[in-house]
Amino acid sequence: MARLISLLARAYVMAVFAFIFIPLLIIVVISFSADSYLSFPPSDWSLKWYGEVLSNEGFMQGLKNSAIIAAIVALLSLGFGLPAAYALERLDFPGRTLIRNLILAPLILPAMMLGLGILMVFTPAGLVATYPGLVLAHLVMTLPFSVRILQTTLSNLGADVEEAAMTLGARPLQTFLRITLPRLMPGVVASSAIAAILSFDEIVLSLFIVGPRLTTLPVAIYRYVDERTDPMVAVLAVLLIAISLAIVLVVERSVGFAKAFGR
Amino acid sequence: MTDAQPSAPPPHISIRALTFDYGGKRPAVDALSFDIAKGEFIGLLGPSGCGKSTTLRLFAGLMAPTSGQISIGGQDIVSRPPWERNLGLVFQSYALFPHMTVTQNVAFGLKLRKIGKEETAARVAEALRAVRLDGFGHRRPSELSGGQQQRVAIARAIVIEPEILLLDEPLSNLDARLRDEMRFEIRDIQNRTGITTLFVTHDQQEALTMCDRIAVMNAGRLEQIGTPTEVFDRAATPFVANFIGRANTLRSTLDRNGPSLLCDGQPLPAPPASELPASGSDVSVMVRPHAIRLRPAGSGGVAATVARRVFVGNMIEVELTLTGGQTVAVELQPNDPAVPLAIPGAAVDLDWSRDDMRIFAA
Repeated sequence: MARLISLLARAYVMAVFAFIFIPLLIIVVISFSADSYLSFPPSDWSLKWYGEVLSNEGFMQGLKNSAIIAAIVALLSLGFGLPAAYALERLDFPGRTLIRNLILAPLILPAMMLGLGILMVFTPAGLVATYPGLVLAHLVMTLPFSVRILQTTLSNLGADVEEAAMTLGARPLQTFLRITLPRLMPGVVASSAIAAILSFDEIVLSLFIVGPRLTTLPVAIYRYVDERTDPMVAVLAVLLIAISLAIVLVVERSVGFAKAFGR
Repeated sequence: MTDAQPSAPPPHISIRALTFDYGGKRPAVDALSFDIAKGEFIGLLGPSGCGKSTTLRLFAGLMAPTSGQISIGGQDIVSRPPWERNLGLVFQSYALFPHMTVTQNVAFGLKLRKIGKEETAARVAEALRAVRLDGFGHRRPSELSGGQQQRVAIARAIVIEPEILLLDEPLSNLDARLRDEMRFEIRDIQNRTGITTLFVTHDQQEALTMCDRIAVMNAGRLEQIGTPTEVFDRAATPFVANFIGRANTLRSTLDRNGPSLLCDGQPLPAPPASELPASGSDVSVMVRPHAIRLRPAGSGGVAATVARRVFVGNMIEVELTLTGGQTVAVELQPNDPAVPLAIPGAAVDLDWSRDDMRIFAA
C-alpha cells in the first residue's frame, strides 16, 4: 500500500514537472526550426531564425530599451526600497502598519487597472512613451517586492548587532553603512535581481504607455505575435528565458538564491 | 540600609526615580533608585518581566525613560544618545559583527574613537589577552564556540574602557558546564580590569556567587539591594525571601505584648522586638528549610507530623504538617542525628533559632 502511494506520488510530481517544462522544451526545439511557420516537430533544423531576430531592428531596439529600463528600475527600486524597508522595520512611527500593508497594494490590484490609472496621470504629465515614464510605471510593480524582500532580510538580522555598534560609539549612519549594509548584501542583490527581471518581463503596464518613439521588447514581441506566427517567436521566447535565467544565475553565484530570500 | 558605611565613597553611578512606563497596567520600571560605587560588581536579579532588562536598555540609551535620572560621575546621561555614553554592553546573543574578524570586532569601538593604529593594535591585543583569546584575532565569529564568542563580546565592550560594563544574561545561552566556567571567568576579568559592572540575571545562583551586591527587582520595583549574605539571610520582603533560596511561610498571629507569635494556636520561637513589622497582628513568618531542627515529640517546640521524606542525594527533604494544616519543609544533612525521627506518620517537634526567622506583615 505504502509502495503504491509512493509510486503515485512520484508519478504526480513527474506530471507536474512535465506540465511546466514540456511547453518550454517544445519552444526551445522549435527555435531551431528551418520552417517558416510554427510546427512540431520541425521538418528541418537551422539557426536562421536566430539570425533573423538578431538582425531585426525593432527587436534589437526593444531589447536595448528593456535592458536600460530594467537596469535603472533595479537601481531605483533599491534606492527607494531600502530606506522604506529600514523605516518600516526599524523605526517606530504612527501609521507604520497601515503603510506596511498599503505598500503591497500594487501586488493585489489588477495590472489593467493600474495601467489605466498610470496612463491617465502620465498623459497630462507628458510621460507617455518616455524612459522616465516607463521606469516610473515599472517601479510601481517592483517596489512592493523590493521593500518586502529587504524588510524580511532586515527582520531576520535582528536589531541587537546594530544596537551593539551604537553602544560602541557608532552614529546611526555609521551603523547603517558599516554594520547593517554589509549584512544586508544578500537581500540587496536578490531584490535588485527580482526588480530587474520583473521590469524586463513587464508587459501589461508597458502596453498602456509605450508609443512609436519608445517600446520595450515584450511589447514588440506581443505586437509581432499578434500579426504573425513563425519560429522567430520561439527564438524570442528562448531569449527572454535565457536573460532571466542569467540574472538568477548571477544571484545564485554571488550570494545563493535561497540565502538571498533570508532562509 | 544595612550596607551604609561611615566612610562610603561618593557613588560613581546613581540612579534616581528611574521610571519607564509604556502605558501598560503598571510601569515596566517603577521609580528605581540605587547607587553603584566605582569598581563594584552589581547584580540586577529578578524573574522575567520584572524590568531588569528594560533597566539595562535605559542605561545603554536604547530606550528613553519616562522620567528619572541616571548619572555617572555627577552628570545626568539620560539625554545622551547611546553612542555618546561610553558604556560597554554585552548582549545575551553576543551580537558580534559576523562580517568582521575577532580583531575587527574588538577594534570597532576604538576605530570610531579615532585611536591611532598602533595603540588600537596594542589595546585589542591586551583585551583579547584579558579574555584569554590571544591568537584568535584572525577568526570569524562563526568559527568560534559559544563561550569564545561570549568572551569576544566582553573584550569588545571592555576595550573602550567604558564607565560601566552592562551584561545582559550573558550566561543563559551557554551549556551548564561552560556556564560555571564563565561565571568565574567573568568575575575574574572584572577583578583584573576593575570595571564597574551591572550584571542582569534571573538566576539567583549566578547573582549570589558573582556579585558584590545584588539588587532584587520585582514588578518594576526594587525590592532590596545588599550583599549576597544580606539578601539571603536578611530578606527585606517576602518576595526576596521566596525568590532567593527556599523559604517556609507560616501564617501567624502576633501579640505585641510578649512579644510572642502564635501559629494555629501553637507558640513559635519568640522574635526579638527589632524584627517586628510596624503594625498589624496578622503576619507571615519565614524560615529557611535548612534552619529548622527536628526533635523528638514532647521535647518542646512546634508540634508537627511527618508527611513525606525524600532523599535527594546531598540532603534529605522532609515535609511536615502542623496541627492547623500548614505545611513546612525541612532540609536535613544525611548525617543529622534527627534523620531517624523523620518517618512518615511520626510526631515530632520543630525548633529554630530566633535569628533565622523573618517576620512580615501579612
